[in-house]
Amino acid sequence: MRLSNYFRNSLSRQVILLISACLIFGLFGTAILFFLQQNLNHQYIENRKVLVEKRKTINTIYDEYNAVFLDIRGYVASNNPQMMERARGKEKGIRALISVLERDSVNISEISDYREMVEFSDYYFGDVLPNIITNYENGNHTEILDLANTETTMKVERFLKDTKAKSSALDNQLAKNVVELSKNQSNLQLIFIGFIVLFLLLVQYIIRMIFRNIGKPLIDFSFAANEIAAGREAVIHVDPKRKDELGMLSVAFQKMVESIQEKEQGLVAQNEELIAQQDELHAQQHELEVTLENLRLHEQKLTRRNELIHSISNTLNKKEVLQSVVQNMCKLIGADRGIIKLVEEDAYAAFGLTQIGIDRFIRFMDIGLVQRLFETKQAFTLKREQEIEEKGYHENINYSYDLYLPVLSSSHKVEAIMVFSRYGNNFSDKDLSEYEALARQIAISLEKIKMYEATESNRNLNQDILNAVQEGIQLIDQNGKMIQVNQRLNSIFNQKQLINGLIGLSWTEWSSLMAEQIEGDTFLVNLKKAIESAVNAEEEQSFVYCKKDTKQIMKVYAKTIYHGDDSLRTILVHRDITKEYEVDQMKSEFVSTVSHELRTPLASVLGFTELLLNKKLKPERKMKYLQTIYNEANRLTLLINDFLDVQRMESGKQTYEKKYVDLYPIIETTIEHQKVNTTLHHFVFKSGVHQSIIFGDKSKLEQVFTNLLSNSIKYSPNGGNVTVRINENPESVFIEIEDEGLGIPNDAIPHLFQKFYRVDNSDHRRIGGTGLGLAIVEEIVKASGGKITVESEYGKGSVFKLEFPRVITRELTKQTEGISSDLNYNIIVIEDDLSLAELLKLELLDSGFHVSYFSSGSQALEQMKTAAPDAIVLDILLEEDEMDGWSVMKELKGNERFKHIPIFVSTALDEKEQGFSLGAQEYLVKPYQPSQLSKVIMHTLLSNGKQGQILVPE
Amino acid sequence: MKRILLAEDEAVLRMLIVDTLEDEDFIVDEAADGQEALDYLKLEKYDLVILDYMMPVYTGLELIEKIKAGETLGHSKILMLSAKSQAYEQERILLAGADYFMEKPFSPLKLLEKIEEIVNEA
Repeated sequence: MRLSNYFRNSLSRQVILLISACLIFGLFGTAILFFLQQNLNHQYIENRKVLVEKRKTINTIYDEYNAVFLDIRGYVASNNPQMMERARGKEKGIRALISVLERDSVNISEISDYREMVEFSDYYFGDVLPNIITNYENGNHTEILDLANTETTMKVERFLKDTKAKSSALDNQLAKNVVELSKNQSNLQLIFIGFIVLFLLLVQYIIRMIFRNIGKPLIDFSFAANEIAAGREAVIHVDPKRKDELGMLSVAFQKMVESIQEKEQGLVAQNEELIAQQDELHAQQHELEVTLENLRLHEQKLTRRNELIHSISNTLNKKEVLQSVVQNMCKLIGADRGIIKLVEEDAYAAFGLTQIGIDRFIRFMDIGLVQRLFETKQAFTLKREQEIEEKGYHENINYSYDLYLPVLSSSHKVEAIMVFSRYGNNFSDKDLSEYEALARQIAISLEKIKMYEATESNRNLNQDILNAVQEGIQLIDQNGKMIQVNQRLNSIFNQKQLINGLIGLSWTEWSSLMAEQIEGDTFLVNLKKAIESAVNAEEEQSFVYCKKDTKQIMKVYAKTIYHGDDSLRTILVHRDITKEYEVDQMKSEFVSTVSHELRTPLASVLGFTELLLNKKLKPERKMKYLQTIYNEANRLTLLINDFLDVQRMESGKQTYEKKYVDLYPIIETTIEHQKVNTTLHHFVFKSGVHQSIIFGDKSKLEQVFTNLLSNSIKYSPNGGNVTVRINENPESVFIEIEDEGLGIPNDAIPHLFQKFYRVDNSDHRRIGGTGLGLAIVEEIVKASGGKITVESEYGKGSVFKLEFPRVITRELTKQTEGISSDLNYNIIVIEDDLSLAELLKLELLDSGFHVSYFSSGSQALEQMKTAAPDAIVLDILLEEDEMDGWSVMKELKGNERFKHIPIFVSTALDEKEQGFSLGAQEYLVKPYQPSQLSKVIMHTLLSNGKQGQILVPE
Repeated sequence: MKRILLAEDEAVLRMLIVDTLEDEDFIVDEAADGQEALDYLKLEKYDLVILDYMMPVYTGLELIEKIKAGETLGHSKILMLSAKSQAYEQERILLAGADYFMEKPFSPLKLLEKIEEIVNEA
């Protein structure tokens, strides 16, 4: 009961039950049929096997007997006892076969057959065979024949025949079995077909059952559901007593239908309510749209404000910023026109204005309404009637609203002013405060630009300073990257074509670029060492390299710079020391030469002195040695003088006592002096004049000609003519000194007057010298206002040409004779040192001035009241008077009549600044060359001009 | 009688040395430059060659090279005179093959002593 409930409650269980029953039925049936079939076959095979075995045994028995009979016959016929023995031996095998038959026999006939065979065997082997054998051995052949002819033979044959028949009976039995098998099998097939038909019938029944119990109710449900969905009534025909799912479904369905009907009524009521609500929502939506529109407007405003801020913070170009400020502000405010103008600079930007309007606005900015902005520092607005040009086609009165807006800096100073106008729409207070906030934003931006400009100009200044420096400078960071570089470094390494030159290159890039242009391969190593020592703050390590192309010698040193954030930077300075290097080279060569040149005469002096002291010598030899010592000592002196001259020249301390000198006698005497030193040379002096006066130092000029003439001799070792020519034109005196000696190679000529330079070729090696003579010559010639050139043909000789500015004879004549009234200048000398006063007076008289001398300032001032001088020479420390030089100067400069008179201060006090501030014309610090005084006085008076000229009576 | 070649471009110094040596019975040939000295060396075998360092045509060093290269007759002792007194210069001269070195200015009597020593050694 419970089990039937179990199945009744579930459709799936019912279906599974039905299908399982069907399957079990099928399986059982098939299994039984299969078993029957197997059994049948098995029986058949067993039967057949027994029969075949029997047949085989019988046939064997038959064959064996035949063989026995044959052997016996053979024994009898041929008296072969072997055959007899063989026949007897078979008895045992035959009996065994027969016993097999006995074992297998199944029915009575077979058992009787077996008995027959046993009987025959007993008969044959028990009676007949022993009989035959006994007879045969006894020779009773007839007996044997009788035996054969009697029933024995018959019995034997009958036995054989029976046996044969039994075998064939078995064959028949086999055939019969086959027929029976096939009959059985066909019966079995019939049973199988019947079974299948029965199975199909069962399946059909099950399907019908399922359809009736499940399918039909489902169709009913679906139909009913459609009906209900379509809103119609529906009835379900399902047995309400069913307990399976469909039963439950029908109950639920019924309930659902009822509840749907109930709810539908509720929904109709709700719907009405919803329609009312919808109306309300429509009203709300409208309200929201209005708010949204407001928000959109606000957002637009914010966007524009952002745009303004973005655009002004986006560029550092002032013009651009101002332009975008005025445009964005106009958009933001809704203004039709506007302007922004910086207060301290001439920079502005306008929108919607003509140039004339702009110019007028800027011109009257200080006096117009704008002024109010400077005072209140607050925005204000102005309502005014529209101008005629603003009105367009409107006829009635319209208004414009102007907004004046100051841009205040962080220090509350008016940086810029802005003015905007809009038509027909006033500004609210809220607007104003918003605009002021924007103005603050703008102010920040303007300040940023200001700062940027200041930094930029600072940066440019720094770069300019760097570029102005003669040294190549580079700055690298801790990774060796080039951060900064000046133009000089770029040009040293031929990087002018690059915009940034070497800036930004990595360590490997720039260092290899440099190394490529530098001779030798030690540059990189030295560079690293220098930087390392700078970084480790060790002793500065500089190094020197040589450029491949220009052969410049450069010296590099490194210094580290610690920036604020502790980042380490290194500055490298490349200094061109080519000149110093060359001078150094020359100097060390010079030292070597000097040492050699000095040692040779010294060796002679010392050597001969030693001989004189230690040896007994003949008087003429003593004389010769002394003469040699004297000559060599002189040579030493000359050499030392040359060195000293050069030393003075180099330090700029060479002094010249310049006078008007006649070159003619100087040259004449020099030639005479040189003649003594040579017998190989012939001197020719050709002069177009008897007098050639120039302004120079006589002893120095003598040195010039001595050097030049001794060179002529020295460099023409084979003798020849040395020709000296002197000529002049109104401006200049020309002297030429020509020899017929070795000449100078062309490439040596440009260097000829360099200090320490010596023409280097094998011919000149024999000629000693310091390389100073010509340098000294050039220096003196230049100091005398002249110049010297050289022409030479190598191997033929050289011509040195000198040119000096000529001094006009007439002037000189008067000068030398002391007649100086022509100049007609009156000079007062105020000096309390009598001897110095005398010296100055003589010098000035020499130069052609009238001179009056006073030992005190007050005396001089007294005198000047009667006659004002043209110039005053004034000492400051005047011990004999209560007035010192400063007070004399003040007195003079304070006096209208004397203040134009030039005062030449001549004092031991080195207070030039005070002197010049009180109005001194020139300030000479004692001791000085008196000639210098007359020179400056002459220069001043002549350049002041007028007075002197007027006073000159011709 | 020992033969000595003196190569010195300064006539005065030549005179000094020759006077000193000839008093002591040396035969001295005088050369005023490198070329002359080489010519002598090719003609004659000397017991001692005195060379100045700085000479026209060939310097003392160049002459030593030529002597070492066998351009001259046989081997002689070489004494170099030089105003270049720095140690490295001396070293260079001795390395080049000079046997003795004397610095200028020199004492003629000491030079004589040295020469006698050298010649007697040989």
